Amino acid sequence: MIGDAVLTAMLPEHLLLLGIVLILGLEIAGRGQRASLGIALLAVAAAAVAAASLSLSGYAAAPFAGQFSVDPASLMAKAMVMALVLPVLLMSRDEFEGGEFPALLLSSLYGVCLMQSADSFLTLFLGLELMSLPVYVLVLLAYRRPQSAEAALKYLVLGGTATAMFLMGASLLYGASGSMATATFAIGLESASGLARTAVVLVLLAFFLKGAIVPFHAWAPDAYEGASVPVTAYMATIVKAGVLLAVVRLFGHAKVASPMLELLALLPLVSIVWGNLAAMRQPSLRRMIAYSSIAHAGYLFYALLGDAAGRLQAVAFYLLAYGLLNLLAFAALPPAADDGERDRLDNLKGLFHRAPFAALMIGIAMLSLAGIPPLPGFVAKFLIFRNLVAAGHTAYAVLGLVGSYLGIYFYLRVIQFMFMSPDARVAPLAPAHRLALCATLACLAAALMIAVFPGWVLTRF
Amino acid sequence: MSDAGLLDLLLFLPVLGVALLLLLPRDSDDLTRRLTLAVTVVQFALAAWLYTRYDAATPGLQFETRVPWIAAWGVSYQIGLDGYNVLLVMLTAFLGPLVVAGAFTAITKDVKLFYAMVLLIQFAMMGTFLAQDLFLFYIFWETMLIPMFLLIGIWGGERRIYATIKFVLYTAFGSILMLAAVIYLVYSLQTTTGVTSFAFADLVKTRLPLDVQTWLLAAFALSFAIKVPMVPLHTWLPDAHVEAPTAGSVILAGVMLKMGTYGFMKLGFPLFPDATHLYTPLLMSLAVLSIVYGACLALVQDDIKKIIAYSSISHLGYVMLGLLCLDLVGIQGAVIQMVSHGLVAGGLFLMVGMIYERCHTRELAAYGGVAKILPVYSAFFMVLTLASVGLPTTSGFTGEFLVLLGAFKAAWVQYRLGDSLPLALAVVAVSGVVLGALYMLRFALTFLFGAAKAPHQPLRDLGLREKSILGLIVVAVFALGLFPGEPMHKTELAAKAYRQLVGTSRLPETKP
Repeated sequence: MIGDAVLTAMLPEHLLLLGIVLILGLEIAGRGQRASLGIALLAVAAAAVAAASLSLSGYAAAPFAGQFSVDPASLMAKAMVMALVLPVLLMSRDEFEGGEFPALLLSSLYGVCLMQSADSFLTLFLGLELMSLPVYVLVLLAYRRPQSAEAALKYLVLGGTATAMFLMGASLLYGASGSMATATFAIGLESASGLARTAVVLVLLAFFLKGAIVPFHAWAPDAYEGASVPVTAYMATIVKAGVLLAVVRLFGHAKVASPMLELLALLPLVSIVWGNLAAMRQPSLRRMIAYSSIAHAGYLFYALLGDAAGRLQAVAFYLLAYGLLNLLAFAALPPAADDGERDRLDNLKGLFHRAPFAALMIGIAMLSLAGIPPLPGFVAKFLIFRNLVAAGHTAYAVLGLVGSYLGIYFYLRVIQFMFMSPDARVAPLAPAHRLALCATLACLAAALMIAVFPGWVLTRF
Repeated sequence: MSDAGLLDLLLFLPVLGVALLLLLPRDSDDLTRRLTLAVTVVQFALAAWLYTRYDAATPGLQFETRVPWIAAWGVSYQIGLDGYNVLLVMLTAFLGPLVVAGAFTAITKDVKLFYAMVLLIQFAMMGTFLAQDLFLFYIFWETMLIPMFLLIGIWGGERRIYATIKFVLYTAFGSILMLAAVIYLVYSLQTTTGVTSFAFADLVKTRLPLDVQTWLLAAFALSFAIKVPMVPLHTWLPDAHVEAPTAGSVILAGVMLKMGTYGFMKLGFPLFPDATHLYTPLLMSLAVLSIVYGACLALVQDDIKKIIAYSSISHLGYVMLGLLCLDLVGIQGAVIQMVSHGLVAGGLFLMVGMIYERCHTRELAAYGGVAKILPVYSAFFMVLTLASVGLPTTSGFTGEFLVLLGAFKAAWVQYRLGDSLPLALAVVAVSGVVLGALYMLRFALTFLFGAAKAPHQPLRDLGLREKSILGLIVVAVFALGLFPGEPMHKTELAAKAYRQLVGTSRLPETKP
C-alpha cells in the first residue's frame, strides 16, 4: 500500500529523476550531446502531465507522513512550474551543447517540486538546497565572461547566508515547539512569544533573500546579468515561483497580524518602489529584468497579506502570468554572437525594423509585465490587490498600486527603443533558432489563453 | 431577435481587420490602406444601421450581450447600446473611415503597423463606450493607451517621444488610482449587499458613507479629468496634440477626450451622488475655469495645432458644465456638445494636417492669404471655424446654447434659493463664447486672409479624397445643427436617468 502511494504520489519527481539518470548515463557513455535535451524535454513534459492529471483527479496522499504529502493544489503548482521549464529548455539549444545544462536544470527542478510537498523543515531544507545548488553552477556555466564567476560567487555567498538564516529560524522554531513540522511556522506567525516570532522572522528573511526583496536583493542584478539568457530566465521565473509557492504553503491559513504585518508589508513595498526606480537606469535587458523581478517579488510577497483563502490563487496566477511573459521576452530575444552584447538595450534600438516579430513579442511581454490590460499581467495584479482590499489593507493596496505605476516607464522605454528609435547599427541578425521560436509561440499562446480565460486557471488552485 | 451579436460584430470588426492586415504580404501598402478603409466603412454602416434601429422610447440597454466571463469575481462580458453611448458610438464609427482616409498620403512609414494601431484604438474606444461592466470598461479604457502611445511615438513630430511618454504617464496615473477605487467599490458592494458584480446596473445601487464616496469620486474624477482634460490637469494635451500625426490628433480630439466626459456621466457622478453634490461648486468652477483659461491660451498660440488643442479644453468645459448643472436641457446639450466637438475639432485637425502636408509648417505666422491660393480649402475651413465659434445652424451652436440654457435655468433656481455661485459661473461661461469667437476668428483672419505669403510653391487645392472627407464632416455638422431633435430624442431617457441617479442621495440607510 505504502509502496503504491510512494510510486503514484511522487510520480512527477520520479520522472524527473529518471530523466536525470538517463542524461547522466548518456553523458558517461560519451554520446549525450543532442539526445540529452530531448530526454530532458520528455521527462519534464511527462512529469508535468503526470502532476496535472493527478491534480485534476483530486489525488491526495502522504507517502511519508509528516515529511512529504501531496494534494491537488500542490500537484497543480508542480505542474505549473514544470510547464514553465519547457520554454527554458527550448531556448537553451543555442547556448548549451552538452548534458550539464539539462541535468543541472532537472536537479534544481526536483528541488522545487520537493519544496511544494514539504511537511517538515527537513524536507523543506532539502528542497531549498537542491533547488539552489545547481543554480550556482548554472550561473557559472556561461563562463565566457569574467562577470559570470563573480556573479556565481556572489550568489553562492549570499545564498549561504539565506541557508544559515533558514536553519537558525527552523531550529529556534523546534526549540519553541519541539516539532519539525512546517505547521509550526503558521502557529509561530500568530503567536506572541518572542522566541517564535524571532524564528519566524529569520525564516521569512531567508525567503526574502531567495526571492530578492530589498534590502536582500543585491545579488540579483549581478547574478542575472552574469548568467546566460536561459539561466537568467530560469532564475527569474522558476526559482522565484518555487520560493513563493513554498512560502504560501508555509503560511497555510494563518492570518497575518501586527507586527508581522508591517514587516510583510513594508519590505515588499520598498522592493516595489526601489526595483521599479532602479530598473529605469539599467543598460541591459537582463539587469532591467533583475530589478523588475525585485519589484515583482514585492507584489508577490504583498499577496501574503491578503485573505488566506485567495492567497494561493493570487500568487499562482501571478507567477504563471509573470513567468510566461518573462520567458516570452527571453525566448524572443534575437540571438547574437556575443552573449554579453545580446541584450544591451542600445542594441535593441530599431529592432522592429530588423526583426518585427521579435520586437512585437518583446513588446507584448513588456506591456504585460507593466500590468497593462488586456494582457495577463493586469489580471494578476488585480487579483493580488483585490485580495489585499478584501483583507482590509486598503492603504497598502493603494501604496502598492502607486508603486506599480512607477514601473510603467522603464517597460515603455524598451518599446520606445525597439519601435521609435532609429536603427542601432549593425550586423544582420542570425535568424532565431527553431526551438526558440517554438518556445516563443508556446509562451504567447499560453499567455493569451490565460488572458482570455483567467477563470480556468483560478479554479484549479 | 435577429439582432443578437450585431453589437459584438461592431465591436470586434477592427480586431478582425487587424488579423486580415497580418495576413497581407509585405510591401502591400496600398492594399493595407484600402482594406483598413473597407473595415472602417463596414463598421460605420453597421453602426448607422444599429442607430436607426435604436428605439428611443425603450429605457435600458438595447442589442445587449451578456456572458459570464470570470464568474468567481462576478465579471461578465456585457455590452449594450443605451441613450448614454448611442451618439458617441455613432461618432466613433463615423470618424473611423475619415481618419483612415485622411492618412492615405501622410503616412508612408510602417504603413501596416500604423493601420493596425488605428484599428486597435477604434476597437478600444468602441469597447469603452459599449461596456456595461466596470471590469470590461477598465480594460478597454487602458488598452487604448498603448496603440496611442505608438501612434504618437512612431509617426509623430520632432518631440514625439517626450509627448507620448508624457501622455501615457499622465493618463496611467489616473488609471492606477481608478483601479484602486474600482476594487474598493466592488468590494463594498459585496460586503453591503452580498452581490459580487461589476455590472454598472448593480454598482449604482451601492450605498456608501459620504467620506468613502468622496475618496472614490476623487479617484474616478482624477482619471476622467485627466482625459477630458480639465484645467489644471491639461498640460499633456497640447504636447500630445502637437506632436501626434494628424490621425492621432483627430482620434484624440474627436473621440478620446469624450471618454473622460462620458466616464463622468456614466460612472463618476451617478456612482457617488452625495459626494458629487458636495463638490459640485468645485467641479463646476473647474469646468468654467477650463472654458475661460483654454480660450485665453488659444488666443495667444503661434502653432495652429495648439490653437485647436486649447480650444478643445475650452469646449469640453461646456460639456462638464452641462453635466453638472443637472438640468435636462443642459445634460442633453452636453451630449450634443460632445458629438459636435468631435466633428468640428476632428475636422479642423484634418484640415491642419492637409495644409501641413503641403507647406510643412504649423507656425501661424508663416501663413497668410490662403483663401486666394486654396479657395476650396478655405471655404471648408471657414465653415468649420464658424461651427467651432458656435454659429447658429451649426452643431456648435446647438451644443453650447443648450448647455448655457440649462446652466442658467439651474443657476436661477439656485439663486432664488440663495446660492449665487452657479449664476456667477454661468455668466463667466458665456464670456467663453465671446473668447471663442475671438481666437477662432483671429486664427482664420491671419490664416486665410491677411497678406499672401504662405505658399512657398504653387499649391494644389484639395483633391477628391480630401473634399469628400471634409464634405462628410460639414454635412454632419449642419445636420446636427439644423435637426438636433432626433439625436436629442435618443438621449432623452438617458439624460433623465442620469439626473435621477445623481439627484438621489445614496447614503447608507441608518437603522432605526
